[in-house]
Amino acid sequence: MVNNPSDSLSDVPLNEPQTDLDEILKQVEDAPSRPQPSDNLLLSANGVNKSFGGLKAVDNATLEVSQGSITGLIGPNGAGKTTLFNLISNFIRPDSGRVIFDGEPVESLAPHQIAQMGMIRTFQVARVLSRLSVMENMLLAAQKQTGEKFWNVWFRAHEVKQEEKDLRERAIAILESVGLAHKANDYAGSLSGGQRKLLEMGRALMSQPKLILLDEPAAGVNPTLINQICDRILTWNREGMTFLIIEHNMDVIMSLCDRVWVLAEGRNLAVGTPEEIQNNSQVLEAYLGK
Amino acid sequence: MILPLGYLVSLIIFISVYALFGLGLNLQWGFTGLINFGHVAFMAVGAYTTVLLSLQGVPLFIAALIGAALAALLGLLVGISTLRLREDYLAIVTIGLSEMIRLIVNNQELPVGNGQWRSGVFGLQGFPLPFSNVTLNPLLQFFLIAVLTGIAGIGGWQLWRWMRKKLQQGKMSQSTPIASLIMGIIGGVLGLIVYLVGLLSLLDANSFTYKTGLMVVLLLVLTVVFWALERLVKAPWGRVLKAIREDEQVPKALGKNVFWYKLQSLMLGGAIAGFAGAFYAWQLATVYPDNFQPQITFDAWTIIILGGAGNNYGTLLGTIIFWAYFEGTRFVLPGLLPFDDARLGAFRIMVIGLLLIILMMVRPQGILGKKEELTLGK
Ligand SMILES: Nc1ncnc2c1ncn2[C@@H]1O[C@H](COP(=O)(O)OP(=O)(O)OP(=O)(O)O)[C@@H](O)[C@H]1O
Ligand SMILES: [Mg+2]
Repeated sequence: MVNNPSDSLSDVPLNEPQTDLDEILKQVEDAPSRPQPSDNLLLSANGVNKSFGGLKAVDNATLEVSQGSITGLIGPNGAGKTTLFNLISNFIRPDSGRVIFDGEPVESLAPHQIAQMGMIRTFQVARVLSRLSVMENMLLAAQKQTGEKFWNVWFRAHEVKQEEKDLRERAIAILESVGLAHKANDYAGSLSGGQRKLLEMGRALMSQPKLILLDEPAAGVNPTLINQICDRILTWNREGMTFLIIEHNMDVIMSLCDRVWVLAEGRNLAVGTPEEIQNNSQVLEAYLGK
Repeated sequence: MILPLGYLVSLIIFISVYALFGLGLNLQWGFTGLINFGHVAFMAVGAYTTVLLSLQGVPLFIAALIGAALAALLGLLVGISTLRLREDYLAIVTIGLSEMIRLIVNNQELPVGNGQWRSGVFGLQGFPLPFSNVTLNPLLQFFLIAVLTGIAGIGGWQLWRWMRKKLQQGKMSQSTPIASLIMGIIGGVLGLIVYLVGLLSLLDANSFTYKTGLMVVLLLVLTVVFWALERLVKAPWGRVLKAIREDEQVPKALGKNVFWYKLQSLMLGGAIAGFAGAFYAWQLATVYPDNFQPQITFDAWTIIILGGAGNNYGTLLGTIIFWAYFEGTRFVLPGLLPFDDARLGAFRIMVIGLLLIILMMVRPQGILGKKEELTLGK
């Protein structure tokens, strides 16, 4: 088609250019609704270090995520991406370094406190609560539930009941958007790998956070589902959610991210727009080997 | 009567004490996944605290409440010192702790009232018992019967609702839920027996002993604790516990204070066991350190595994089966086997071990456990 324009032109039906125009128009319409990431930093990690024995898994790494952005974090296997996630969310304590989230230093907080501040992480291998239903997995994620306090179960029973009803509605809406509504009453342990990834994402959203850290959302997911996941992420981003995404699938990174950070052997290698990263010779070298 | 009423009353008390004790462990292990191999420690603390305080003149019910509170405190201490470590540490520490507490009350001088102290190895006797100085006047008689009838009514109603649900489910899936029907009928019959035993021993004022009163109060406590636990585990509070059992990284990543919930579970389960300890002591009327051997802990584990972990109804059922087995074999076996008492005792435990192994092969999820859960990936 591209090689022989005259041929293709004669082949196409007359209304073809029309559809192209429609698509372009649609993109133009869509563009403004995608919020421009502001210069406000929601998350910044500075000079973070972590050694496992003799191995420096994360070496003086820096990472910034602006409010409203979709930020990518890439790098070869074993570059230290997941470790950096663990350090930011304090699932592993950094040896040294500064992590500021939403204007506050968080290195000294417990992981659950950081989550309560609105930073929710997912796991590279999706973790679901097998013997709880998909719905219960979702409900667990909601923050500040009245019924999670022992005494409230007794003394604010009515409130608890009402809240539970509201949460159920919210959960169903999110499950519908990730295509798992029909599975709501199944055990989460019966979901497939890809469905678990979706559930984990829905669960993160259910907690109404400020920032979601996704560790390889597309890994092990079939292409159709990957498109669906990307779609979701874009929709939620339009609605104001900020994302930090680790991903090996370059198409996903290219189509989603405003800015990409590259890590190799625990160190920062490059940062820039997806196009800049794609054409960076150092990055290519790191991926392909010298 | 074929079986003397007094024996049945004692049996009902023992079953209820074990059920209460098992419910505490079921909260910790069945719902939260905490491996507590020293559950009897909580019971010992509850029993000794209650008895020793009542010997100093503290009213019985208050003494029992303080016993439960101290058992909860023990849970707090154990939890703070081990829960941050790897999970198997809790198992090791708790079993050590339960032996430690038994050895302490064995070797310590204990205050037995009137300013006297006596070595724990001699046990504790002659301590105040509930209803011991009470004659069954018509008012008390009426009150106890009313309580008993109330409990029976609630139990019967719950059973009825459960049966109706099962029948409806059966209708939808075009199958007769025979297992559920049998279970329901057995449950109903057992409940009726308990009610009749209570009623008969309450109606005759002359045969009234403190144990009859103890039984009614204990049944009431069991009902209340059971109801409270069911409500808690179905609330968002219980959802966090179950999430911890499944994979504690998940609730942690979702902002739940996992450590604090584990502590709460350990403390509440401990308090329930402590409360069971008070009734255990009252039932025995004399308390020796040997009443708190690790075997008691493993009886509770057997009960929970039998019934199906993480299911309070399963714990009740497991307790009944466990006691039916032990009492049944006590009467039947001596006629069948030419063993002396010690050998018979060992034989009965051997057989229940064998039965558990068979159950684990045939129905690994326990009697009331859900089969689907076993096929799930992690
Ligand atoms: N808990 C740990 N103990 C010891 N070494 C670890 C630990 N976690 C990670 N590492 C090591 O740190 C390095 C970085 O691992 P990490 O999981 O962060 O890589 P990654 O960038 O996420 O890789 P991938 O893309 O394959 O997921 C690896 O060499 C790994 O072996
Ligand atoms: Mg990784």
